[in-house]
Amino acid sequence: MKNKFLIFAVLLFLLGSSGTAFAQTEDELVEICGVIAKEATYLKDFKIRLDAGDPPPLQRFSVILKKDIKYRFSVCNSKDQEGKVILELFDNNRLISTTYVIATGKDYPSIDFTCSKTGAYHLSFKFKDGKPGLAVGMLSLVETL
Amino acid sequence: MARRFIFFIVVVLMFSSCNSCQNSGKNVGDTFVIPDSLKEDNPVPISAAVIDDMIQNIASPIETAAVLKGLKIPFDKDLIANTDYSENFNTNFAKALGLGIYGCDLGYLNMYGKTSLVIDYISTIRSLADGIQVGQFFDFSTLKRLATNNENIDSLVLISQQSMSRIDTYLRENNRSNLSLVIVAGVWVEGLYISSVVTQDANNKRMRDIIGEQKEILNLMMPLLNHYKKDPNMAKLIKNFEEIKILYNDVKITSENAEPTTIEVNGELQIKQNDVQTIVMSDETLQKIIEKVKEIRIKLLKG
Repeated sequence: MKNKFLIFAVLLFLLGSSGTAFAQTEDELVEICGVIAKEATYLKDFKIRLDAGDPPPLQRFSVILKKDIKYRFSVCNSKDQEGKVILELFDNNRLISTTYVIATGKDYPSIDFTCSKTGAYHLSFKFKDGKPGLAVGMLSLVETL
Repeated sequence: MARRFIFFIVVVLMFSSCNSCQNSGKNVGDTFVIPDSLKEDNPVPISAAVIDDMIQNIASPIETAAVLKGLKIPFDKDLIANTDYSENFNTNFAKALGLGIYGCDLGYLNMYGKTSLVIDYISTIRSLADGIQVGQFFDFSTLKRLATNNENIDSLVLISQQSMSRIDTYLRENNRSNLSLVIVAGVWVEGLYISSVVTQDANNKRMRDIIGEQKEILNLMMPLLNHYKKDPNMAKLIKNFEEIKILYNDVKITSENAEPTTIEVNGELQIKQNDVQTIVMSDETLQKIIEKVKEIRIKLLKG
């Protein structure tokens, strides 16, 4: 009986460790995000890893966007964590766009932004309802105008 | 019998867990040891907040090239830096600068699909990257294969960009942000040089604006460079860039804010910014900037 319990415990451990081995890596998420970004040219990726919190913790980045260029911001979530990422794009403190529109409750895997002013913009990432999450955001170039 | 079986399972587990450590997909950089000789003796203190606020893509190797190609400006081999200059890059600082310059050139070559020239540039970049211990992030073999077989230009662009991005991230995360900034400075000055020569030849309004808008980028970059001004090499680079910045005092940029337009097209969100940015720059100022950039760029290449 004791031996059966030991075998069961060892097999349980084995199953647990095999689950960890197949966890989605950030690099895999970058690849998935590349697929979401379609034909746009990759410029930069942002790895987002946040714990649960109320209010939801934020991860911020600054980017320079240039006039007369159409950019694409894409996001993708790790399937191993429950958090769904939300990207918000700010010009100074002005919210320009987001991947989650509260009014409609709709999530967008990517948003296209046609820039008319060269300068620094801010990206803010958080997970919906403050859940813990792992995600990747990607900035790509769609076209020059 | 059962005990033997358990012992067997435990032994297998121990070996498999060791193996999974090696192949866990962990970033190579996490375990990479930097020799002390490559670390600065007295790194300039910089607050974590400043590092966090550092802009991610001050100068992109690909954006300038994308604009040129979009404007249907033909490829010109003479615009890019000859790889022979790489012999002048002997210190870590110079290697990082060279990495930026040739990284920008690689973006230009890739964008125009000039794969026959790419190999020389990726070899140079690899050598400079190795020199500052970041060669492991430059996927040389894949890039070489793609360039040699003239296959999939999109992948060539993607992997080149990702390699440069990984180098940048690694340097920032390992208290070597100074080198990351120097790479950015190299990309920026080379991009501005290419744009300058094209503007001089083509006198295109869009290209003029690209030169003018660098005022905004320079204004963002200078405070970051100034954090490391105690380093004599950085001080020299700052002095060079200050000469360009003074000329930009005569460039006037104004902006008028307006609400962006958001529309959904085939389930995708499209945002059009309606702010109006106006760049005013005289021909004389443009000419002075172009000449100064040419002068500084060749000075940097000669070491």
